[in-house]
Amino acid sequence: MSSRKPSPFFTPGPTTYPGSLAMLSLKRDLQMPVVLQTPNPTDPTASVIHTRFGSFPHTTLLNIPWGSQVIASQQSKRDAARGKKRKRGTADAAPDDADDNDSPVFETASSGFVHVLPPTPELWTAGLQHRTQVVYTPDYSFVLQRLRVRPGDVVIEAGAGSGSFTHAAARAVFSGYPGEGAEKRRLGQVFSFEYHEPRCESVRAEIAEHGLEGVVEVNYRDVYEEGFTLGPEAPRADAVFLDLPAPWLALRHLSRTEPSPLNPATTTRICTFSPCIEQVQRTVTTLRELGWTSIVMYELQHRRLDVRRELVSVAYDGLRGVNSNAASVDEALTRLRHLEEKTMEFHGKGKDTDTPAKKEKKGKDAVGRDKQEAIRRRERELQVWKEGRLVHRTEQDIKTHTSYLTFAVLPRAWSKEDEERCRKKWAVKTDTEDSNGDVTMKDDDAEV
Amino acid sequence: MQTHIRSKDQIVLALPSGLLKILEIQPHTNISIGKFGTFSANLLLGRPYHFTYEILDQQDGQSDSQLRVVPPSELNAESLADVVPTPNESRDEKIETDDGCEFEIVGENGEVIMRNNRLTIDDPSRQALTMEEIEELKKASTGSGKEIVAKIMAAHSALEEKTSFSLAKYTLRKTKKYIRRFTVLPLDVGMLSQIMLEKDPWRIMELREETLGLIASWANIHHSGFDGLHPLEGTQGAGRWLVLDDTGGLVVAALAERMGILYPTDTSDDEPTTSDPTTTANSPEPAPRIVHPRTQSATNNTLTLLHSNAQPNISLLKHFGYVFEDPSPTHPLHTHLKTLTWLQLLDPTADQLYREPPTIPDETLATLKSGKRGAYHRKRRRWERVKRVADETAAGDFDGLVMASHMQPAGVLAKLLPLLRRGAPIVVFSPTVEPLTELMDLFSRERKAAFVRGVQGREQGDGAPPFDEADFPVNPTLVLNPMLQTARAREWQVLPHRTHPMMTSKGGAEGFLFTGTRVEPAEGRVEARGKFQKRRKVAAGDVSGAVKEANSALKEADEAIKVSEMVDEGRDTYEDLK
Repeated sequence: MSSRKPSPFFTPGPTTYPGSLAMLSLKRDLQMPVVLQTPNPTDPTASVIHTRFGSFPHTTLLNIPWGSQVIASQQSKRDAARGKKRKRGTADAAPDDADDNDSPVFETASSGFVHVLPPTPELWTAGLQHRTQVVYTPDYSFVLQRLRVRPGDVVIEAGAGSGSFTHAAARAVFSGYPGEGAEKRRLGQVFSFEYHEPRCESVRAEIAEHGLEGVVEVNYRDVYEEGFTLGPEAPRADAVFLDLPAPWLALRHLSRTEPSPLNPATTTRICTFSPCIEQVQRTVTTLRELGWTSIVMYELQHRRLDVRRELVSVAYDGLRGVNSNAASVDEALTRLRHLEEKTMEFHGKGKDTDTPAKKEKKGKDAVGRDKQEAIRRRERELQVWKEGRLVHRTEQDIKTHTSYLTFAVLPRAWSKEDEERCRKKWAVKTDTEDSNGDVTMKDDDAEV
Repeated sequence: MQTHIRSKDQIVLALPSGLLKILEIQPHTNISIGKFGTFSANLLLGRPYHFTYEILDQQDGQSDSQLRVVPPSELNAESLADVVPTPNESRDEKIETDDGCEFEIVGENGEVIMRNNRLTIDDPSRQALTMEEIEELKKASTGSGKEIVAKIMAAHSALEEKTSFSLAKYTLRKTKKYIRRFTVLPLDVGMLSQIMLEKDPWRIMELREETLGLIASWANIHHSGFDGLHPLEGTQGAGRWLVLDDTGGLVVAALAERMGILYPTDTSDDEPTTSDPTTTANSPEPAPRIVHPRTQSATNNTLTLLHSNAQPNISLLKHFGYVFEDPSPTHPLHTHLKTLTWLQLLDPTADQLYREPPTIPDETLATLKSGKRGAYHRKRRRWERVKRVADETAAGDFDGLVMASHMQPAGVLAKLLPLLRRGAPIVVFSPTVEPLTELMDLFSRERKAAFVRGVQGREQGDGAPPFDEADFPVNPTLVLNPMLQTARAREWQVLPHRTHPMMTSKGGAEGFLFTGTRVEPAEGRVEARGKFQKRRKVAAGDVSGAVKEANSALKEADEAIKVSEMVDEGRDTYEDLK
């Protein structure tokens, strides 16, 4: 193996390791990317990740199996006290550290946890910093599927934006790291273009940090003006993804005339990603003018569904998240009869002044806590998690529109000479004299 | 991506009617596409994919036709034409205004911008050509069908009454019917799913292309970076996925495509790959020949297919050159696709293929007839394969699980979750939502909390909450972030001034995905942290209901609000697992 570290995206290995990107899964929709580091021995408190579910020192996250649940830590009381001292006088703190080096600085907190997951483009897309509109998982999955991107392919992406598509495309084309032994096969690569310099730098830094160098090449360039060609033999793209405000301006650079950025031996597949229908219309017109064919346009509707148990019954009265209305005519009658009795009793007996007075004495908090405890107890007894009817509904907030996806293909260039060569190799036997003299070509010649 | 059409390739012919036709292209044969004509396969061999051809007329005395490549400019011409007349083009229409033709939009200077359909008459007699005459035309036709379309158009008595939109539609409809064109496409997984959806949707569990894409993404399917046959140190066991496939092999194909093991590697052009399959099985020492790696022997970048019949049903893989019963030893799936039955996984000793056949010492073996000797070696080899695959599967450490099966997901997950490495993705596909809502429910927050309480209660021996194993068919703490989703792509027509979603498309099963991540809970007591914010809303809902009912209920609800406010203030950590 070469000296390069494999990317945690492709080969995470069994455990987390220093320098690897890890995704801290806080909640389903809250993923926090963290590059794990060996803590600085002079100040272990510096390498701690603070989340709303507790604090996590890197030491607790390092060298553990991926997918582990990690319990939050808190600074030990003794250490916290020393920390305060240190802040007061920083000068005399250093000798202290030396002899206490192996004593635990952190201890397990009483609550809070995260799961440490190996990075995937999906988790990265959920957790990345939004620099531009993000291409989300449903869209990039469909795009890569329709573009038939496979290991070993070369993909052009413009612009790189927030890098979500970049990572997904890198996974799709990946077929090995460059420089590993004599490679006969062509290795898959993503050529990413971005004309916004700070964004470009951010993507480049992320690619390096994620061990994707060599698989992804980030270029700072305005493709409307300068096109996609990077040299006489590069990039030789098989597929193109344009997430640009005006894709039609970039299309003229994707032609077969040399120097072409396209792979001359394959059909080029393209997808443009535009939110507005006017953009689509201009793009499609330009595609047609430039000789692209099989032009189709899709929009992807994606929904996530929430599943829960619908609990309807008078018996659930007072519980959380239930509907305590009557579930049947019988229940309604029983309840009404009961209320009727209560009213009769009330009018007969007079007001009961005892209970509210007691409650006031106990204090609001205590009563609340008792009540809550009582609710929990009842919930447990009733086992509400297996009662009622299972229902599903679309989650509360949905992305009703992301972008329109326009697909097209550009077949290989095919010259007269190519056709002539093919006609010779695959001669058609004809009964009549043919003008091009292929008549004499027999089957065995064709097998060459 | 294939660079050109090779002999014995499976190709797809896309006809103007939208029909997709799969065929294996054989040199020196004729390809017939019904009424459109017949042509020689040699006219396609060696040519690039995605070309559109027009079938030219048969020359006298010839049984087949020549082809003409239709250039893209010609293909796109109709779509590029702006059918809505621009004001200065509508000169003759002005005249028509006098005959009482009405217009929808008339420009300020009286020029017609758009016509309406108020006066159109739906009457077949407006087409002057009769069926017989059209048939005659077809027989006598000398061109690509364009002439027929032109004649039909000319014979329509009220063509000028049509709005420009309906005229465009009419032309398109007639063109689709009579034009003798077809496009040659490569047969890949996306294309196959499209064809199967039209033909036999139930055979592939109505799995659409967009769902295939989602499955591959959420299962994190990718090439492992190594071919798996000559493993480098430290790379063994990278990129192994566990699969259940009741789609006839479509899911296996889709995953294999993403792992780079679906298509035979480009060997020397058009060389037939018919090395005798019996050679590897028969000869004990296949010395001088090319030694092909043993079947199902790859160590990484592999798919392990678990099936419930004696043989897996992956017949669709034949379209990619792989036949399970008789695999070509050069096909990547020969080594990278591993198959085993549930019996071989869960109770291997009950399976006779797993039991070691008796060994025969070499001396005795030498005395045997060659046929018997071959049978002996074949048996030994099969046993070795079955044992190896069963053992390595049982050892687990898979990088992910993809399930597209009619089996009950809960039972499958209960057995297979322990075989996944931590952090591995889980993807379960179902055409309908119900099996997956049930699965989601097994990982609900409340059930998980009850499970954790139950386990803790049992450990501490207080035995307070009832803990029924049957309520937890799957350990709910082993799956993180369970999610249920669905996606559908809607196609649009994009034409000048006529852009809109397609009017019709396929219905059928929506197709749903369950996704999650295999995790391992920390040891000991784990408490969630965070505010419980939903309480207030719920409590408030209770209040509104309660007011109507009785005063006593109102009081209780009041307290409930107070409770929830306190919780909101964060004074109380809530115990349930988030």
